[in-house]
Amino acid sequence: MQKSNNINTTTATCPACGMLCDDINVSDPSANTCAKSISFFSQPITESSPTIAGKPVSLDEAVAKAASILKDAQHPIFAGLSTDLSGFRAAFNSAQQVNAPMMHINAESTWRNTKVLQSKGWQTTTLMEVKNRADVILCIGTDVVSHNPRFFERNVWNKEALFTNPQTRNIIYLGGEGLDTSHGVSPNGKQPTVLPCATKALPEITAALRALIQGKTLNTDSITGIAVKDLETVVTQLKEASYAVLIWVAKDFSFAHAELTIENITESVVTLNKESRAMALALGGSDGDTTVNYAHTWLSALAPEEHDLKQYDTVVWINSFSPEKPLPTTDAPIIAIGNSQTQFVTPPAVFIPVATPALDCAGTLFRVDSSIVLPLKQTRESALPTLSTVMNKMDALLT
Amino acid sequence: MITLLKNAKVYDPAHGVDGVKKDIYIRNGHIIAKPSKTEKIHEAMDLSGKVVMAGAIDMHSHIGGGKVNIARMMLPEYQETLKYADPEAHVCGPQCSHNATPSTIVTGMHYIEMGYTAVFEPAVLGINARQAHLEMGDTPMIDKGGYAMLGNDDYFLRLLANKADQKAINDYVAWTLNATQTIGIKVVNPGGINAFKFNQRRLDLDENNKHYAVSPRQILKSLSRAVHDIGVAKPLHVHCNNLGVAGNFQTTLDTMGASDGIPMHLTHIQFHSYGAEGDKKFSSAAAEIAEAINNNKHITADVGQILFGQTVTASGDNMMQHLNAGFANPKKSVIMDIECDAGCGVVPFKYRDENYVNAMQWAIGLEIFLSVEDPWRVFLTTDHPNGAPFTSYPHLIRLLMDKSFRAEAFDKLNLDAQAMSNLKAIEREYSLYEIATMTRAGAAKLIGMDNQGHLGEGAAANITVYTEQSDKEAMFGKPDYVFKDGELVVKHGEVVKVVWGKTHTAKPAYDKSVEKNLKEYFEKYHTIQLDNYKISDDEMAADGRNSVISHTKAAG
Repeated sequence: MQKSNNINTTTATCPACGMLCDDINVSDPSANTCAKSISFFSQPITESSPTIAGKPVSLDEAVAKAASILKDAQHPIFAGLSTDLSGFRAAFNSAQQVNAPMMHINAESTWRNTKVLQSKGWQTTTLMEVKNRADVILCIGTDVVSHNPRFFERNVWNKEALFTNPQTRNIIYLGGEGLDTSHGVSPNGKQPTVLPCATKALPEITAALRALIQGKTLNTDSITGIAVKDLETVVTQLKEASYAVLIWVAKDFSFAHAELTIENITESVVTLNKESRAMALALGGSDGDTTVNYAHTWLSALAPEEHDLKQYDTVVWINSFSPEKPLPTTDAPIIAIGNSQTQFVTPPAVFIPVATPALDCAGTLFRVDSSIVLPLKQTRESALPTLSTVMNKMDALLT
Repeated sequence: MITLLKNAKVYDPAHGVDGVKKDIYIRNGHIIAKPSKTEKIHEAMDLSGKVVMAGAIDMHSHIGGGKVNIARMMLPEYQETLKYADPEAHVCGPQCSHNATPSTIVTGMHYIEMGYTAVFEPAVLGINARQAHLEMGDTPMIDKGGYAMLGNDDYFLRLLANKADQKAINDYVAWTLNATQTIGIKVVNPGGINAFKFNQRRLDLDENNKHYAVSPRQILKSLSRAVHDIGVAKPLHVHCNNLGVAGNFQTTLDTMGASDGIPMHLTHIQFHSYGAEGDKKFSSAAAEIAEAINNNKHITADVGQILFGQTVTASGDNMMQHLNAGFANPKKSVIMDIECDAGCGVVPFKYRDENYVNAMQWAIGLEIFLSVEDPWRVFLTTDHPNGAPFTSYPHLIRLLMDKSFRAEAFDKLNLDAQAMSNLKAIEREYSLYEIATMTRAGAAKLIGMDNQGHLGEGAAANITVYTEQSDKEAMFGKPDYVFKDGELVVKHGEVVKVVWGKTHTAKPAYDKSVEKNLKEYFEKYHTIQLDNYKISDDEMAADGRNSVISHTKAAG
């Protein structure tokens, strides 16, 4: 049970995307400029009961049922993992007890990045370096704002910067579909460069970019509809930059072997850094994915991998942050533990509503750029148990 | 409840005890004086024939600074041996590559199994301190602590460039220690990590960072002074400029003079003791460095010994790691600029005894160990995992204690390296007392922990019990017993009870008005709020396992 004197905050950190803006006015949500954040902090409070096959039960009955299903499982998996650090730690311990692997709801996209890290490594930067140094920002296949709505507001069009004039930054969009490039217009009206091509053409255009950065000549005037001379201009701007930043969002790269496209970006940066300064930056992120990647790695010495849920006979599905995201499609019994707002088409074997970090309880999350870790505050009264409480109860029954 | 360890052969250099038969009494996690006859002894253990030392302290090991986690993530192949269905298929030795990037759980277990009860992460970026403490919080069995990195952060460099007075620097340094829950201050490639962001590729001691027009020497002077003025025991922890460069010993010698006699600790000095003599333009300058340490009483050093095998180098020094990335084995690396604070570089590396440079590095480290006369001023490290995994400490101890074992290893080196090294001519063998000094008493004294690293009254009852053996690698590899805060946690090399340890910190006083300028800076240039940078004691203890110990004495 949370105490009310914990809630004395007006400013909070928002877990709705990987950027973790920590300037959210929770006493006046209308002052907030981000739709994702408004929607997150205005979730209604429902005190829904745990259920077994859709029928309300007590917490202890639900936990006992979940433990008995897990004990009978041959190949269980802990998936979803949309939670914060302490929730993940507790889930990790439970998964260890039943030898279950773990997979985050964003595994498909984060794994694209991990594959590049494990194949070649990379050279990356963080948001404060962007905010204070970047004079050329190249967004590849993404507008960023679909994922991180306040990226430009907070890190690009800031009033002051230590080493660059924010107003004169050169913003370039290369490829991608349905982009909102309006955020790339500077407050004084400077337009971004937009070089459009289809998402499926990104492998080709990033390979061309990498080749040009390496000093190779292309025997063509145009690639996927983009004039080579325009691409050459981009390359010149990157090389002349004091600090160029090349940005992508793995979720926007929904095509086969996207890791090779990401590698084109990261290896372009490696080449640029031989003479000038540039850095790569993977943005996006949600549902505590960066936190889960990091904590899983230090607790097990291995990054979490992508798994096929159909290979498992029981799924523990943890989803504290995103009630709108559906349960996975599987014939196996699902033990769903998560946000009290979660709606089901078919009720899972067991459902246990838990506290959402940043609403019902405090917590901790890693930002998408990985080095920055921020505390989350409890921002409303709630009687919901935390994920750790539920996991600890279950552990006691599993031993 | 009182526990008695009797008839132990005790090595306790803090009290000048050199292999003397003694009894040790433990109550409530601490060592106490001999109780009166009326007090009941609840448990007695006869340690006849056993060697007893305080729990060992690793004063420099990368167990939680974020970089090793990047290494874990990048190097799944290091863990492959652990995935074998048949454990017999893999014989795990000290140099196994998975020991370079163990999980936090395995890290804690391996340390305590070797008799270590406290380990210090030497490279905590302020902005990344929360992660460092979270990782260390998930490291069982041992106490932890960290050194906060300053000197490449733009806030400090602006202060220096604007000729802020020493008081303003002191307040910022003291505030940083409090805000990041650390016990010391480290500077890595002073000014160089920052200069790399402005596309400078090397930075010498008297060369200016081209944006701020300040030199590494000025940074060292200012920070060493600050650490001294605010009363922090741990001297400024210095990773010199020009890491790994042939001929860098001159930078290292000059660095010793940069603090005007104020104490400084030069870390992993092996990597900074290279000459540029000979056909290969790479030679040992260990003699010059050791002589300088012997003559400069304000200088302490840890060695950062390399041992042959697969490992990974993880450093805040992204300027030099970027230069070294071409030597990566396997061929991949991570270089990061981080949040106008510092950076990092993670480069996997395989040290091979048939390689001339690697063989020289091995010999240089040992030459330094054996040529520095005062074991209170030199510390046993491999800069885990940079020189070798910490699990190779027992092997390293044998190299120091056993001249014929050392000679045998030397004979396997690259022949050109053998010709260029005078290691074999050094007769010295470390004694148990000297090993206890460098791994216990000296380390505790250096860091400023009165109740650690010794077996006197009032000390935390962290105690390691060994069976004396001529094979010192076997002896130090598997203690018979380890007590952590009075509890028996290791028996015959196996953990019998899981405990979680505490976090050692320093909390020097500072003028609270320092936050006025910091707040303004955060609001203009940072991406988070000042309040979210700071880590409270309550947050440290929020996992229900950890707690904070401050070693700062009240002013007076």
